[in-house]
Amino acid sequence: MILAIESSCDETAAALVDDGGRLLSSVVASQAELHARYGGVVPEVASRRHLELCVPVVERALDDAGVGFDRVDAVAVTEGPGLIGALLVGLATAKALAFARRLPLIPVGHLHGHVASLYLEPEPVAPPFLVLLASGGHTLLAEVDDHGPGMHVVGQTLDDAAGEAFDKGARLLGLGYPGGAALERLARDGDHHAHEFAVAMAGREGLDLSFSGLKTALRTAVLAAGGDDSGRADLAASYQRALVRSLVSRTMRALEVTGRDTLAVVGGVAANGVLRAALEQECARAGVRLALAPLALCSDNAAMIASAARFCPALPYPEYLARDAYATA
Amino acid sequence: MLLLSLDTATDTATACLWRDGEVLAESATAGRSTAAQHLLDDVDHLMRTAAIEPSQLDAIVVGTGPGTFTGLRIGLASARALGFALSVPVHGVGTLDALLCGDGVDVACIDARRGEVFCKGAGIDLCAIAPGQLAELITPGTSLAGDGAVRYRGLLEPAAVIAPDASPLHTPWARHHASLSDLWDAPEPLYVRAPDADRSPSARAAS
Ligand SMILES: [Zn+2]
Repeated sequence: MILAIESSCDETAAALVDDGGRLLSSVVASQAELHARYGGVVPEVASRRHLELCVPVVERALDDAGVGFDRVDAVAVTEGPGLIGALLVGLATAKALAFARRLPLIPVGHLHGHVASLYLEPEPVAPPFLVLLASGGHTLLAEVDDHGPGMHVVGQTLDDAAGEAFDKGARLLGLGYPGGAALERLARDGDHHAHEFAVAMAGREGLDLSFSGLKTALRTAVLAAGGDDSGRADLAASYQRALVRSLVSRTMRALEVTGRDTLAVVGGVAANGVLRAALEQECARAGVRLALAPLALCSDNAAMIASAARFCPALPYPEYLARDAYATA
Repeated sequence: MLLLSLDTATDTATACLWRDGEVLAESATAGRSTAAQHLLDDVDHLMRTAAIEPSQLDAIVVGTGPGTFTGLRIGLASARALGFALSVPVHGVGTLDALLCGDGVDVACIDARRGEVFCKGAGIDLCAIAPGQLAELITPGTSLAGDGAVRYRGLLEPAAVIAPDASPLHTPWARHHASLSDLWDAPEPLYVRAPDADRSPSARAAS
């Protein structure tokens, strides 16, 4: 049984997974409300909250699974990439938990974790596949050949992450932070053809993505449109359509280039209904098998870290005692 | 009563195994921003030296700062996790209080960065203050200790008496945290300062 801890950004999370890849419990304490008034994640505020929540979240995960800490065989933890101060709280907690019982520690890469959200029972998806990982912190396309931490990145965002683009768009539309989900709701009442925002990087070679131009276009349109509600819904719908089209076109292109016959989609943005529907349609047309991450495991959580840990080397006591975290991959 | 005490609030991480008033083993590891990361390595070494298993510990005592935010959190997170895993209580003691245990120390003084020190003692309540201001507050001959006193020696002397840089008085030895059972409190961090963003949320939201 693996106990995992995730604290790379603004969610403090713990989860338990058994040896067969069954999820026994998953607890996520979101700090979104705490950061809302700043309009974004403030690292020092996040780190302070992680310290308050880390042990209680672990305790809750064990309670939810109905097991004591003595039943845990290994402790897994996100070691990067992420906010360094935030990561260090989770890492110190995990190391001390493992040390207390001489358990092995399994350091896990956060991106590997997102991909591994697909490896859990009851419907695990096995590599090889092409993965679209789109979240508030990362946006990339990569080839994955096995369950391990390795992946071959074939394209990535050159500026903002896709989730960041959703959140920044939401802020421009006055929807607060984090506003990705609110933007999707507002867009339902809007006409997505009302504004033609250029699809970023369309026609350009390569598989990289870019979203900052789109954000600038939205800002200009918001200023021009004034503030009425139907206007805002149209803007939200059009902006979302442009973001989704950009992601979908680059992803379909990557499938062609790599010749992969399975597409996996993970990360917070994978929860977006319009993106899911568009990919379903395009994949059906192209004869590509589509595996979407379970909705509950799209945004940051520790279940995915526990899942990834099953396919990472475990460091025996005392090899991990001076282990450090890293901010960038 | 077998205690493990530790403090990573300053650039010198300290740890101590302590049984009923006797120091079984102790360590102090210096290194800006790295000392805290090596805390468990030090603890492991102490335990091997004293032939103690984690399961034998009766309680954990941890320095609650103030000091560097990240270092402080590493110590507190480690202590709380150890306490949870071993089902033993975790007590907190201020790092300045530990420094005040040093022989003849009147005011404890920790480097607070940004041109200030955290200090306490001789009637001064815990605060962050510019060293020049502190020099005016104290009566001549007051003895200061801690890495803040060392760093701002030039501004604090001659009003203050400060031991040589290498003196053990400037280190918050974890043996003091263990012995100060009267001061044991909840293991909550003493940040003293609000997070940067808390000072100007509106400015940040507009950016
Ligand atoms: Zn993530």
